[in-house]
Formats: sequence, structure tokens, C-alpha cells
Amino acid sequence: MSDLVSATGAAARATDVLLRAMGGRTVMLRMPAPAVPTDVTEQLGIAMPTFQDIPLGPVVYRKARATVAEGKAAKWELLVSATVVESLVGSLTYASASVLFAAAYGVLSDDELLEIESATQDQVFGQPYVYRLVLRAPLSQMT
Amino acid sequence: MQNAKDTFYVTLQSRLAALNPARTIVVRGVVRPGTLVEENELPSAWVPMDAFRLQWTGLQANSAGPLPLLAMECSIQYATDGTSGNGGMDRGRLLAAMDAELVSVLGAEPHTIPKMNYSAAGGGIAPTAMGTNVFWADPVFSAAKAVGERLERTSTVLVFAYQEAGEL
Repeated sequence: MSDLVSATGAAARATDVLLRAMGGRTVMLRMPAPAVPTDVTEQLGIAMPTFQDIPLGPVVYRKARATVAEGKAAKWELLVSATVVESLVGSLTYASASVLFAAAYGVLSDDELLEIESATQDQVFGQPYVYRLVLRAPLSQMT
Repeated sequence: MQNAKDTFYVTLQSRLAALNPARTIVVRGVVRPGTLVEENELPSAWVPMDAFRLQWTGLQANSAGPLPLLAMECSIQYATDGTSGNGGMDRGRLLAAMDAELVSVLGAEPHTIPKMNYSAAGGGIAPTAMGTNVFWADPVFSAAKAVGERLERTSTVLVFAYQEAGEL
């Protein structure tokens, strides 16, 4: 039975159903274009990369309200479907989900660009079924 | 001022890459020599390990001469967690190796290089040489700091350049 659950990705699909049932929505993952290895002007801040917004869904904010502390930027925790993350890792040819999120510039949610502070995953039988992103609001909105 | 900062960074990067080509980082999917200027990269909470991160901090201007002399403080931060395969027990040796690389490239002669203008460079166009030089003092190293399993150190270098007429 455990082999069946592991091999078919049942946990990931069950998580997708739960995320959708909890009001799953779509946010955009903002990815910069790959750097140009021989172009020193990018390293000097002269040439700017272009960006691509990629749909990421279903996702759910774990809490409706942000975690707010005085003098610090507001933070949110976003639960992301492992199915969509795995498909993005494959189609964008990243080595892993952690590399994908490390390369991302941020998450665009309701026209607000949130920085990804950390990305972790929950696994069952060695396969991720959900990713947790800790997102930080822009410093300009710091309380 | 910006030309001096660019020239110093490119010089430091090329010397470090020549000394240890194996020290690299991956930035936006591309392998680069293991140096970067934080203010020139996308803001990120991610801190690259085993690489040199430059920050331009202090600035002083002396207008006594015919051209203003700028003294810019460059803070070079670097850290290592050691090798995971070695349980991090080699982190002291890896930090010492980075110390030695920095001492070697910043202490190597010459301590001066012609100032270059990179604003029109790129795409096969070479930077243009300017009329004055960029020069720098010996680095000053702070005490190594241990944060959990991470060892980190900051080295500070004073970089000098003349502000030429019409230069930003």
C-alpha cells in the first residue's frame, strides 16, 4: 500500500485537492532571465535582466493575516502545490525546487511583490507533497 | 566614483579567478567567479557561501588638490559552513584559504590600475580607459565570527581614486 501511495504521488494529489478546497488561488512567481556569463555589465548593475511571471497555483496562505512585528516587515506563509512546483522545475530545467526558489526574484500576489525568505517542503515516503514559502513584504511597507 | 568602484571590482574578480578558478558561485543559473557586489545584484535573503561579497560603505572626499581625491571603503564579507561531507569540521581551513586568497590578490603588485569606464561596455565593446588611476591600501581583517556552524569574516579595503571632470 505504501509503495502504491509513493509511486502514484497520491499525497501530492490529495494536497492539491485540499488546497483547492481551502480556496486555492494562483500567484505569480517572478523569475529573472538567466544571467549572461560573459557580460560584465550585469555584474556592475548596468545591464538589467528581464523578468518572466509564471503562474503558481493552487496556493493558499496559511493564515489570512500576516505575521507583523514592530520594526520588521510583515511576513506570510504560503503553501504551494508540489505538483506545480515539480512541473516548473522540469519545464524550466532547474536542478531542484530549492534552486528554483533561490533563483526567483519574488512572488507577485495581488499586485504586490513579496520576497521569498525561505522555502521548505513536507515529504511523505521521500516525495514532497507541499512546499512552504515564507514571504516578506517590501521594506517600504515596514511598520 | 562609480567607475572607480567598477574598476576595483573587475580587477579583484579577475585576480581572484586567476588565483583560484575553482571558487565559483551560481547566480541566476550561470556559473561565475566567486565574487559579487551586493548592490549590483537582485535583492535576496540568500547569502552565498564560500564567495566574496563586496559592499561599498564609507566615503570621504578631499578637495585640496586640483582633482577631488575620493577614499571609498570597500567591505568584503565572506563566510563558510565547511564541507558537508566533512561534517563542517574543515570550516576553519576553508576560511583560512579565503583569507589567504584575499591577502594574496590585494597585496599583489601593482596596487594601482588605470580607471576604466564600463558604462558603454558589453556586447563585445571594451571599456574605455580614463585619465587617472585607482589605487588601494592593504586590507584590514576583522575577527572571525562564528554564527552557529558558520564562520564569517569581513575585510575592509580603502580604495582611492581621483574624480575626473564630468565623471559621475
